[in-house]
Amino acid sequence: MLEIRGVRKSYGAKRALDDVSLSVRPGEYLSLLGPSGSGKSTLLRIIAGFERADAGEIYLDGKPLTAKPVHERGVGFVSQGFALFPHLTVFDNVAFGLRFRQRNPVGAPAEVKRRVDEMLELVGLGELGGRQIAQLSGGQKQRVALARTLVVDPHICLLDEPLGALDANLRRRMTIELRRIHQRLGIIFIHVTGNEIEALAMGERVVVLDQGRVLQTDAPDTVYNRPASLQVARFLNRYNTFDQRDLDGAAAADGVSCIRRDLIEVREAGYRAAAPETLTTATFVTAEYSGSIIVYFFSLPSGKVVEVEYHLSHKRPAELREGSAYALVWRTDQAMVFGSPKIAA
Amino acid sequence: MENQPALRGALGLYTVIFITFLYAPFIVLAILSFQSGPEGGPQFPIIHWSIYWYKHLFGLTPPSRVAPLPIGDALIRSLILAFATMVTSTLLGTLTAQAFRRRFTGSGLVFYLVVLGMMVPGVLVGLGVALVSTYLGVDRSWWGTTFLVHVVYTFPFAFLVMLAVLNRFDRSVEEAAWALGVPPARTFRKITFPLIFPGVLSAMLFAFTLSYDEFPRTLFAAGGDLTLPLAIYGTFSVEIHPNIFAFGVLTTLFSFAILAVYGLLMAMSVRRARRVAIQEEIA
Amino acid sequence: MRAPSDGTTLGSVSVTSPSVPARPRWTDRYGTWLLLAPGTLWMLLFLAVPMLMMVYVSFWTQKTFSIEPKLTLQSWINFFSSSTYVGALVTTVEIWAIVLFFTFILGYPTALYIGLFIRNKTTQTIVLVLCVVPFWTSFLIRVLAWRPMLGKEGAVNLLLLKLGLISHPIDVLLFTEVSVIIGMVQIYVVFMVGPVAVMLGRIDRSLIEAARDLGAGSWRIFRTIVFPLTLPGVAVGAIFVSVMVLGEFATSAALSGQKVNLLGNIIVTEVGSLKWAFAAVAGVVLTAVMGIVIAALLRAVNLREEL
Repeated sequence: MLEIRGVRKSYGAKRALDDVSLSVRPGEYLSLLGPSGSGKSTLLRIIAGFERADAGEIYLDGKPLTAKPVHERGVGFVSQGFALFPHLTVFDNVAFGLRFRQRNPVGAPAEVKRRVDEMLELVGLGELGGRQIAQLSGGQKQRVALARTLVVDPHICLLDEPLGALDANLRRRMTIELRRIHQRLGIIFIHVTGNEIEALAMGERVVVLDQGRVLQTDAPDTVYNRPASLQVARFLNRYNTFDQRDLDGAAAADGVSCIRRDLIEVREAGYRAAAPETLTTATFVTAEYSGSIIVYFFSLPSGKVVEVEYHLSHKRPAELREGSAYALVWRTDQAMVFGSPKIAA
Repeated sequence: MENQPALRGALGLYTVIFITFLYAPFIVLAILSFQSGPEGGPQFPIIHWSIYWYKHLFGLTPPSRVAPLPIGDALIRSLILAFATMVTSTLLGTLTAQAFRRRFTGSGLVFYLVVLGMMVPGVLVGLGVALVSTYLGVDRSWWGTTFLVHVVYTFPFAFLVMLAVLNRFDRSVEEAAWALGVPPARTFRKITFPLIFPGVLSAMLFAFTLSYDEFPRTLFAAGGDLTLPLAIYGTFSVEIHPNIFAFGVLTTLFSFAILAVYGLLMAMSVRRARRVAIQEEIA
Repeated sequence: MRAPSDGTTLGSVSVTSPSVPARPRWTDRYGTWLLLAPGTLWMLLFLAVPMLMMVYVSFWTQKTFSIEPKLTLQSWINFFSSSTYVGALVTTVEIWAIVLFFTFILGYPTALYIGLFIRNKTTQTIVLVLCVVPFWTSFLIRVLAWRPMLGKEGAVNLLLLKLGLISHPIDVLLFTEVSVIIGMVQIYVVFMVGPVAVMLGRIDRSLIEAARDLGAGSWRIFRTIVFPLTLPGVAVGAIFVSVMVLGEFATSAALSGQKVNLLGNIIVTEVGSLKWAFAAVAGVVLTAVMGIVIAALLRAVNLREEL
């Protein structure tokens, strides 16, 4: 169990973390989602001990961590660039921690070999122990970095944008691998990412961070369906936001309405909203077809662009004329209204 | 502009002449070192070719009016001094450059204090140290005061080389090692040092050659026992003979030997990196 | 203990120890200074202190063969009222200016060729190394080698006679100001070539191509793009050359036949006759000249960024 309490960190005048508190359950896979500059990597680096918090405390299984140097924490860290030791082979990279760590280093070559081979097997690199680092592909490097971290049995494994350096296909495969490895080991994984899809797919819970503050901590489907704030909704890249003046017959006195793209229906202009529905009139601009999904782009009189997503597996594509006005309709109870319309500009 | 053949040709020709200008003294020196002896002087024409002056250096010629160069002990002193200077300044340079990896207040001041060591003319540093040692009543010597000012001179070079190397060094590799439970000192030994070794080698080469050939600082800082450059300087005021040229040729060859050792060590540590780079290109 | 700030703390908090601000470890706070201490101390003790000592001693009283720590301006007055000393100051500045000018004029075209006209990085490095190789001959022997080059029966005269360019050997080549300048230029010109060539190598070629596409001629490209971009390199080179030329005395001692007296030569002579206070005055004057030159050049370039 990892307990983060009231952690603050500033770089000069810039606040990187502002009173962040979190509690991670034993064995949990936690996603830390945030835009660049949100402080997510800083938080990870503070947990690892690379940076020092200005205030606050971190407890691992009840014991304070903050005063300990990096090498006494038992916190594994996989960095974005993998940070493999370029002068060592794959085997020696993985064996490095076992051989040279301060606390019970493993001296016996046979034991080192057994554990390294076992770990290489787990990450699917059984054959490649003798390779030089530069002979590896991006995905293989990622696996070596993981094996190297996990072989020393850390209490927690921190992953700083672990998939960021991989191409799309590899990313897919690695997400599956990561989950499998996590299940095998049963330790806490904290996965930092700027990609909302990755965060939702990986985490048992998702923490959304922005400007050094925690905006929401929830299960992925809750974050996705009920974002706790406008920023979270924005950051998910799935929501249209409307000032009340954008809406016909304002549904709420003030605040900003958020509605997911795929919950909007397109109707002919002149459609009259039934009681539980919200409606706005917009001009069709263009459509973007991507296999199973079509996205329609509309513009509001205020100039704002609205995206409507049709999933073709359960909806027929709409026949729309560019430049014509349509009614965009959704169920009022599916939209969320947040205060502070100023943010919505 | 680099596509104009006329300009290109003219500049190319100029560069050839320029390099000839750089080499001319050494070529003349090498030719004159084969002057006949002991009657042949340090000028043209060559009376007849001989290796008399090389033999003379090693005391293999019958005694003549030309005294042998007083270089035997001086050479050994210079080598010891250069070695000690190399080790010390590389160590200081690495430590200081390591400190510069973090921001700290006063870094600009420390930077210029260190760089001052290579900026202040040697004759001034030598004079200053001579004054201080006279004031304190400490005897000047090649292994004491001279060593101190040599490090003052070579440490900035080592520092700048190491600073450049560490700037390029990926610090996340060190962090990765710490996170595996490996303490910082061991991480430095096992990870950082092997990776910055080529830089350390360059710093050492710089320090060694600079110290080995250092003259103005040494002039005032050394006591009665001469280093090699001081011994050569001693011949300035008296009549020079081709033996000094022969000696120049030999020391140059010796320098090349050091350079070759450096190149060899460098090639060994770079070879892996290069093999790797090629493979990356193919992949 | 701080109360949970908002709704983000999940699960029950079972930890009892109070939340204290993180306290940096001792090595963390002082680590940087521990690393800095040896080098900084070395430079303070063996560079800063001696330099200050020099300033101090310049105000001491000079006796025939000794100095006394009784403060006086006498050495300074002697220095500036002696035509020899003031002349040495003028000569030093004069030689410095001439040598700096020639290292620039002779070095820049070579740097231009290496940095811009040689495209292959390996060839570039090889030619640069070729320029540096002469440095592996002892400095003093390199200086001495100019004697058989420039003498009345020297290589240069022989060559010129053979080519029929002159009918009588030129005898102002050796043991004059000319020989000192030739010697210094040959020794120090590489320090100008190196930094400039490095700067040229860093120029983005597409910039030049873009200018050509816009119809700019070679001279214009050089004047408006290439030359301004190399100025930091010229400044760094000029700093190197200035530092070394201003502190020179060996080249003039070997090649001028006592005709050229630089401040460096004055210092050597004074120390030789145990006139420490005079030597110190000359040293302080030289330091001042250095300071002015370097400060002026540093305005043109941020050394910390370029090195």
